[in-house]
Amino acid sequence: MSTEQSTTAVATGDGAPPPTRQRVRESHARGWSGHGAGFLAKLAIMALVNALGVLALWSAYLNGSWVIFGVLLALLVVADWVYFSKRPVPLKYLLPGLAFLVVFQLFTIGYTGYVALTNYGTGHNGSQQQAVDALLSQNEKKVPDSATYPLTIVEQDGELGFAIVEDGTAMVGTADDPLSEAGDATITDGRVTGVPGWEVVPKNDVLSDPALADEVLALRVPISDDAADGSIRTGDATIGSVYRSVLEYDGSAGTLTNTDTGVVYHATDEGQFVADDGTALPVGWRVFVGFENFTKAFTDDTYSGPLLRITVWTFVFAFFSVFVSFFVGLLLALVYNDPRVRGRKVLRTLFILPYAFPAFLSALLWKGMLSANPDYGIVNKLFFFGARIEWLDDPTLAKVSLILVNLWLSYPYWFLVCTGALQSLPDDVQEAARIDGAGVWRKFRSITMPLLLVSTAPLLIASFAFNFNNFTLIYMLTGGGPRFTDTSATLGHTDILISMVYQISGVAGGRADYGLAAALSIVIFVIIGVISALMFRRTRQLEEVS
Amino acid sequence: MRTTLFRAAAVAAAVTLLAACGDGGSETPPASQEPTTAETTEAAGGATGSLTIWVDENRKPAVQAAVDIYNETNPDVTVELVQKNFEDIRADFLAQVPTGKGPDITIGAHDWLGALIADGVVEPLDLGEKVDEFETVATQAFTYDGQMYGLPYALETVAVVRNTALVDSTPDTWDDMIAMGKEAGTKYPFVINTNGTTGDAYTYYGLQTSFGAPVFVQNDDGSYTTDIGMGGDEGFAFADFLAENGMKGEGNFSTDWTYDVANEEFGKGNAPYTIAGPWAIQTYKDAGIDVAVDPIPSAGGETAAPFVGVQGFYLSSQSQNKLVANDFLVNYVATPDVIKALYDADPRLPAMTSVADEVAADPIVAGFLAASKNGAPMPSIPEMGDVWEYWNAAEASIISGSSSAKDAWTKMLADLDAKLG
Amino acid sequence: MVTTHQSPVMASNAAVRARGRRRRWFLEVSWKYVLALVVIVYAAFPLVYVLSASLATSGTLTGSTELFRSVSTANYEALDSTKFWTWAGNSIVIGLITAFGSVLMGAAAAYAFSRYRFAGRRGGLTGLLIIQMFPQMLAFVAIFLLLLSLGEVVPALGLNSKTALVCVYLGGALGTNTFLMYGFFNSVPRELDEAAKIDGATHAQIYWTIILRLVTPILAVVGLLSFISTFGEFILARVILTSEDNWTLAVGMYGWVSDQLQANWGLFAAGAVIAALPILALFLFLQKYIVSGLTAGSVKG
Repeated sequence: MSTEQSTTAVATGDGAPPPTRQRVRESHARGWSGHGAGFLAKLAIMALVNALGVLALWSAYLNGSWVIFGVLLALLVVADWVYFSKRPVPLKYLLPGLAFLVVFQLFTIGYTGYVALTNYGTGHNGSQQQAVDALLSQNEKKVPDSATYPLTIVEQDGELGFAIVEDGTAMVGTADDPLSEAGDATITDGRVTGVPGWEVVPKNDVLSDPALADEVLALRVPISDDAADGSIRTGDATIGSVYRSVLEYDGSAGTLTNTDTGVVYHATDEGQFVADDGTALPVGWRVFVGFENFTKAFTDDTYSGPLLRITVWTFVFAFFSVFVSFFVGLLLALVYNDPRVRGRKVLRTLFILPYAFPAFLSALLWKGMLSANPDYGIVNKLFFFGARIEWLDDPTLAKVSLILVNLWLSYPYWFLVCTGALQSLPDDVQEAARIDGAGVWRKFRSITMPLLLVSTAPLLIASFAFNFNNFTLIYMLTGGGPRFTDTSATLGHTDILISMVYQISGVAGGRADYGLAAALSIVIFVIIGVISALMFRRTRQLEEVS
Repeated sequence: MRTTLFRAAAVAAAVTLLAACGDGGSETPPASQEPTTAETTEAAGGATGSLTIWVDENRKPAVQAAVDIYNETNPDVTVELVQKNFEDIRADFLAQVPTGKGPDITIGAHDWLGALIADGVVEPLDLGEKVDEFETVATQAFTYDGQMYGLPYALETVAVVRNTALVDSTPDTWDDMIAMGKEAGTKYPFVINTNGTTGDAYTYYGLQTSFGAPVFVQNDDGSYTTDIGMGGDEGFAFADFLAENGMKGEGNFSTDWTYDVANEEFGKGNAPYTIAGPWAIQTYKDAGIDVAVDPIPSAGGETAAPFVGVQGFYLSSQSQNKLVANDFLVNYVATPDVIKALYDADPRLPAMTSVADEVAADPIVAGFLAASKNGAPMPSIPEMGDVWEYWNAAEASIISGSSSAKDAWTKMLADLDAKLG
Repeated sequence: MVTTHQSPVMASNAAVRARGRRRRWFLEVSWKYVLALVVIVYAAFPLVYVLSASLATSGTLTGSTELFRSVSTANYEALDSTKFWTWAGNSIVIGLITAFGSVLMGAAAAYAFSRYRFAGRRGGLTGLLIIQMFPQMLAFVAIFLLLLSLGEVVPALGLNSKTALVCVYLGGALGTNTFLMYGFFNSVPRELDEAAKIDGATHAQIYWTIILRLVTPILAVVGLLSFISTFGEFILARVILTSEDNWTLAVGMYGWVSDQLQANWGLFAAGAVIAALPILALFLFLQKYIVSGLTAGSVKG
């Protein structure tokens, strides 16, 4: 609600509009008379954009989110410049999409790049402070065989204390005063309900006040003068137990000391507390490791064996997936662009049926249908006379199955795209495209196809790149299997590079190494990016044909 | 200072109210909420604040039931249940807790514990003397290095499920069971989920332990070391057993069987015996067959000890409401009423002994409970995550007959050796 | 703008039809029906399987090789007790807005690339596509962190906001869409623009009133593709939309089957059958724009 208010305030008040009006008059002097409506629409939209932008800037300023503030300011300045200046006409059309691209897509890439330089993963998941806190809390342990006491929070002159009942006797203590007997305390139902000189703080008051709750959680009441005996703490403000902490943190030296053994753990550059004898504490933190992950990516020999095979298959898979489905989609688009075929509308709708099914589950569906045992796999039962064909368990057949399933998934896309693209061809070409006689094939090959390729070639490259990283399909249909039997890596005949990354970086389960996964993602991106850029250079020649 | 708390709250509420009026009605919902909050705090005596709990779809009604009971005495704690896919919870919890934006409490399985601890995202929990009210296997599963890290509430394990119309008992040994299964004259004497060609070492684990080959060597107190326990003669004897019963042997195991397929066959009455968990019982009932649950027979001479999984609640180490969350878990969830409500909404075996005894009137529950008593908790050490892939694959290749028992098992041991170092 | 075009006059088609003789029809057209049958079996068979599962009483999708063993509408009725219809509404709203935004942004960008020559044009065009090839393995962490910070500044763009999800989708709206349209825009003759320019039209007028009308088929294709991919996307959606009421169909239905032990395939199959309907309806509606043949007519006339 307040948003709307401020919006109007900025829009009608002394915000952005005045300079706007001036500049516009310069650049669109002609505009006022001829195209008033369009100009007003632009003005209204820009006023709104500016208003929302200023509002967001203000909010970012209040929050102290300076990165967001900077990016927003830059975007807003660029937007105003672009739309109120006469020169950058192409940018007027590009800016909306680019703005979203910069904020939402480039961030992911940037973040991946950042993670690639860190050791983010299992055991290195947060900040050093969080690691210290976690270690301290993990190493503050209940004293073995110690009892649990009903506990009451009490207060005296602003200082908090615990009152507990031990064997029918009330004991009171604070952080500085160890527990001592409180003579005249009232005990109801085994719990202290009143201590002379102390005020009982009801549990609900503690629970309702976050600051107080934190204080209670942090309170440790020693059970005796010897700190090594342990102290009472509570997690829920109703029961207390005796805990002993064996770790001690020295913030200035950045060390943790085990008070029992005297071993000192130093913070290392690898984001771990390590003792002189090399033993490390379990919780580490994220640190920059430079290009270590990239070095690891290129030198780790657990997967260098199958790497070549997997790379080759990745290319084969991506190429055939695109080629086969494009071919089928194009063929159907051409064949059913024929007005003599009746019911085309219905046919076309039926053709795109696979596209209407939630894509991520198609692979699971096919996995069931392609079951080898004809009792369970309907494909073998209905179409192969009950033969046992191991679609997904034979290395070669599994590859064929993948491409056939991918064909089912993606030919409707090409059918749509080609049907649309055919409409852009001049009529005479379209007629030639209807494969209806001798000589037409040549016409198709030399006229229709090149024209179609101009608009579809970039999409073919994009689709190639998509399939290059088509993790979901591989993962859900074959899981990379059947497995290689001659290597110890958990990889298989249908694994592609990206599913290999998923396996070896432990994201699949076990000890995740996001740093390594990020580094490998970037390596794959560079490979696929270079290949695509080279292919684009080739398509430029195609474009010159038109 | 603390006694003025209520007054402070009332003033705060009044200020908020004034501010709301002055603001011309912005933030109306919180403003109208605040005053009542302060009043009822005093009247009903409940805590205030908010809790965010992650649950999966199946457990949502169960946890909702617990929240309803909690809200009866604490009407002013807003508990938000965020429903997530169970498989996403672990990764999201690990990623989000360090940002301070994760949940206060999440539902989870005990075998995540090792990873959660290594990442420092989970807070220890003190159940006090209530710890004795729970099954030892459950509290042990949530204990790491002498410290308890979550509230266990339910157990799950696999057992032999038998179609009572076809057979009337489950013998103590594997061979006798198969013999009885054959007498029943059905399509198969026995089916089991093998998860297709992926392999499913989890479901087969009871049979494996009857050969005395646990996945990791256990200490005397039941905790796991990181030494693989599947080597030696016992492990190879189990591998041979898989091959003998595999597709090129007796055909009692098959990599054609996925979870769905195994259930379909059993549900159609095509096999008198299967090994399954409590989650599958409803499927069988829906298919219209009557079942009974028995412990897994021994194949290798020793007691079959299937994995026991423990489900529970974890407390985030970055929670801003630790005290409220702790109070919710220890003083409300860890009570027979709520554990029973959780059971009613989602029938997993209650981890609280008194409730378990109560629901054991149901013979099926009793059967799974008996099976769980033989079981061992699934290891929660992070190394466990690295084992599955090799283990499953080795079993699947032995069952399908694509490699010999000796080769596949030897390779698995070598690979695990290399992987775990 | 998509709705303002005249109904197509297919003069050439009429001529073709007039020429058609019976024997020729048999040779050239009849096989197309046969082929169509084969394609339809391939396309629809898995879906028939799903339909059968949605009508079955037992809850498995795989493992059965008998179609339509039992027929009951129980699964469809059970949808009412879930949030299916809320999710369906969310999916349609998010899908339509994203599709609309993608078409606007993509078309504008394609126009710029097609009609203007500026520094970095070629590189920019290639760059757009290459950026989209980045493997998004860590997207689930990155997007979460991004929206976490954005949400503190602009609550509407925070986590669990449908607006934020649409924005994330629009972040990928350029890429392939621009390319798809770029090729098409190039096929609209420049003479049209130049004639309009001489008449005194501004670039904006040319774009909105002339070009966009001529490229309707590709606008419809891009809109449809964008709607479909948004409708089925669940990786980003399940990170961003945390409360059940905000979920899309893909997120919600994935939850039904993500845990194989608790999977409810019957419910899922019924949901999938219904979820396919909006896509088919949209396609039927857009088909006349996609195959209008309008461009050819206008260019000639």
